[in-house]
Amino acid sequence: MDLQYYLQQLVNGICLGGMYALMSVGYSLVYSIMSFSNFAHGGVIMVGAYVGYFALTALNVPFWIAFLLCGVGSGILAIIIERLVYSPLRKRRAPSLYFIISAMGASIFLENFVIATIDGTPRNYPTLFSNSITIGSISLGVDSLLMIVVSAVSLLILMFIIQKTKIGLAIRACAYNEKAGTLMGINSSLVIFVVFLMGGVLAGFAGMLYGMRFIVKPTIGQVTNKSFVAAVFGGLGSLPGAIIGSLLLGIMEIFVASQNSMLRDLFVYALLILVLIIKPSGLMGKVVEDKA
Amino acid sequence: MKDITFKHHDPDVVLSLWHATKRFGGLTAVGDVSFRVRKGEIYALIGPNGAGKTTIFNLITGVYSLTEGRILFNGTVIAQGENIIKDDMRETEVKPFKKKPYDIMSRGIARTFQNIRLFKSETVYNNVLTACHAEADYNIFQSLWRFKKGPKWLTKYARQEEALRQKTEELLKIMGIWQYRDMVAVNLPYGQQRKLEIARALATDPQLLLLDEPAAGMNPEETMALMQLIREIRDRFDLTVLIIEHHMDLVMNVSDRIFVLNFGKPLAEGTPAEIQSNPDVIEAYLGKEEDADGNA
Amino acid sequence: MSWYYIEGILIQSCYTLLIVLGLSILTGYTGMFSFGHAGFVCIGAYVSVLCTMGFGLPYWLALLIAGLTAMVFGAGLGKITLGLKGDYFCIATLGVGEAIRLIFNNLNLNLNIGGKSFILDGAKGIASIPLHTTFPIALVIVVFFLTATALLMKSKHGRNMLAVREDELAAQMCGINTFRSKMLAMCMSALYAGIAGGMLAHYFGYLQPKMFLMTKSTEYTIMVIFGGMGSITGSVLGTVLLCALPELLRAVGDWRLVFYGLAVIVIMIVRPKGLMGGKEITDLKWFKAIVRLFKGKKKEQQPPPDEGEKPGEEAQA
Repeated sequence: MDLQYYLQQLVNGICLGGMYALMSVGYSLVYSIMSFSNFAHGGVIMVGAYVGYFALTALNVPFWIAFLLCGVGSGILAIIIERLVYSPLRKRRAPSLYFIISAMGASIFLENFVIATIDGTPRNYPTLFSNSITIGSISLGVDSLLMIVVSAVSLLILMFIIQKTKIGLAIRACAYNEKAGTLMGINSSLVIFVVFLMGGVLAGFAGMLYGMRFIVKPTIGQVTNKSFVAAVFGGLGSLPGAIIGSLLLGIMEIFVASQNSMLRDLFVYALLILVLIIKPSGLMGKVVEDKA
Repeated sequence: MKDITFKHHDPDVVLSLWHATKRFGGLTAVGDVSFRVRKGEIYALIGPNGAGKTTIFNLITGVYSLTEGRILFNGTVIAQGENIIKDDMRETEVKPFKKKPYDIMSRGIARTFQNIRLFKSETVYNNVLTACHAEADYNIFQSLWRFKKGPKWLTKYARQEEALRQKTEELLKIMGIWQYRDMVAVNLPYGQQRKLEIARALATDPQLLLLDEPAAGMNPEETMALMQLIREIRDRFDLTVLIIEHHMDLVMNVSDRIFVLNFGKPLAEGTPAEIQSNPDVIEAYLGKEEDADGNA
Repeated sequence: MSWYYIEGILIQSCYTLLIVLGLSILTGYTGMFSFGHAGFVCIGAYVSVLCTMGFGLPYWLALLIAGLTAMVFGAGLGKITLGLKGDYFCIATLGVGEAIRLIFNNLNLNLNIGGKSFILDGAKGIASIPLHTTFPIALVIVVFFLTATALLMKSKHGRNMLAVREDELAAQMCGINTFRSKMLAMCMSALYAGIAGGMLAHYFGYLQPKMFLMTKSTEYTIMVIFGGMGSITGSVLGTVLLCALPELLRAVGDWRLVFYGLAVIVIMIVRPKGLMGGKEITDLKWFKAIVRLFKGKKKEQQPPPDEGEKPGEEAQA
């Protein structure tokens, strides 16, 4: 066990954490605007992974195009879900319980639709990058580096949109108080559209990266459970919280896995329970008093 | 937690606020408000929109925690913030706390909401029946035995439930909404929803009733009838009433004493006659009466 | 179609109904959404098998212990999460449900109790469990809990739960201890799931952690929703329809769950109150008419508020 080993694990952890971050920001964005857990997010990620797989195998396109196709496919899917599933509920001002149930329905639908139309067998992505770069005594796979770079760039662009653009300001205003935002002339439908689009695109990227790293199968959407945990760990509804929580979770998970790979999933859920007991508002979350 | 009760408490005072302050971040929603509500009176809180009236209700009912000061109900501290004046501390220690809302309410406080909050998809009858719960203390197992016959400990459900149903019927008849009893609450006409909310509040057998703009959205005749009704139930149930109201003339008519708030700060307190002639109030509030009514 | 096959479906419907009944208390009546109910079923299943196979306890006692163990876990989870706002409860149940399954997935036991060996082998689970769950037993258990639940929900405790679902703040303002109501719902729900888990284990004859995946939890919830939240009759209908029908129509195969997902979405949009719309069979007009036809002498148990004067007769106070 030397430094090199730990550094290697750290890079793997950041890699995994970056992927979780791509998933959990989409989830967190929707939660902060619409205050419900979008459990259909996993389905969107899974579809993204399949788009990437078929783009690479059936269409034989280069990596970058497949990657963009993933984003586009998942983005469109997220918006379709919003339009068909959530928007009728939104118009009726249904309580958030109904949104959660619908999201679950959508998730079951997507997962099993893929099983029924394609099949349930796991598939491997073709190997894209097998070479590795050696810095000093550490050798890093190009795919790992690529994953980190892609995650970082996507998240930076997202943060830029949220912090610096007009639509970002509208999103932040709606996250603070949707009703007040609407009164101030913000088009909340547009905000929700953009939020789902951005969440969907990032989910597509995450799906492709997941597929490259592991495998593609209809149930990979369940990996989003871990990104929900990451979002709670970082602070439910907070974007920086979701990113930091995801990174920490990824790193910790890899280190636990390197000790005992059986405990890796269990550790994640144990952490969730621990966070809920000790600090339910998470690392960056804030406690707010309910308005009566 | 053990109750902190003041031994030298004036038994005539039902509710007292002691330098109550509530801050949200940097914003002072309620600043240094003190008043005492005496047994049996109708005490009105008035002030322009955003003056902190509903916040005071939320502080009393334990929805918000107090930043500074103290709130007493029948001599028992129900909420306490920091920085309590030492003089007053003979009998207690200084430690901010807030009792749980259900705990506070089950001591004999009931309230209604500015934006009506009924149990929407339940019937009118069940709304009131649910709120009667405190009078029945049968446990889960006792609720499985529905027959009137049997040993006394087993028939608790049948006996208590019958009492609840009688009480519910009585309350619905007093409020004049008995004929709507099978209607789903959300389908009731607006004015009747307000009445149902009062009926539900009365079902908890309160000593102190907090009414948050009970006449909002009603026309003048309906409002007059409601105010008459409030006086009647006050006498009938031996209540003390704390009321927030926008309709100025009504407040002047119905209340015994009035407390005026402006931007979270106390402005004046007194009988309706005193308030009407108070130059500060006239300037800050009555001068803008049109505005206040327009918003109501 | 043999009786053996039909009996199997009936037993499955029975214990699924017990789980759905418990979930109906939690989701349908109290408005809390559990993603990890399969976890409680899992605990119940393993504990009951440990009781019968390991300690040689009678079947009924094993079920009871299984239920109570699940209830203790439910109470613990409730203590941690019920005070929290937002979707924490939902995510916590998801995490706990998965964690329970993963624990059993990694658990290797080789106990030797009184000369008998009891082997629990992680993902391979437990084999050759005695088949105690027969249809008459399952039916008796389910009818008992069905009656108890229906009675309880028509009492003060059930009304308090409904109040929590409708408007938690308003419920608190009526002096209802909402935490206690939620806790009661949580405990009952876990108890039912635990007992059902025991029945399941002694019906299949083997146990594997993968029988308790999250998909199972969501299927139970769908049954509640499909039948209608806040209705016992709805839960029964939902379970029987969604549990028995797909078994009879094996041909649907993979498309069964696709239909499930779609049905949930469509129900939420078109008829969010589910089949029964929050009503019980005793509230329906045709049922009342039948009851009136048949009784005449026997008085109805619960005095519904609709006896007495017709609307409009009462003068305004």
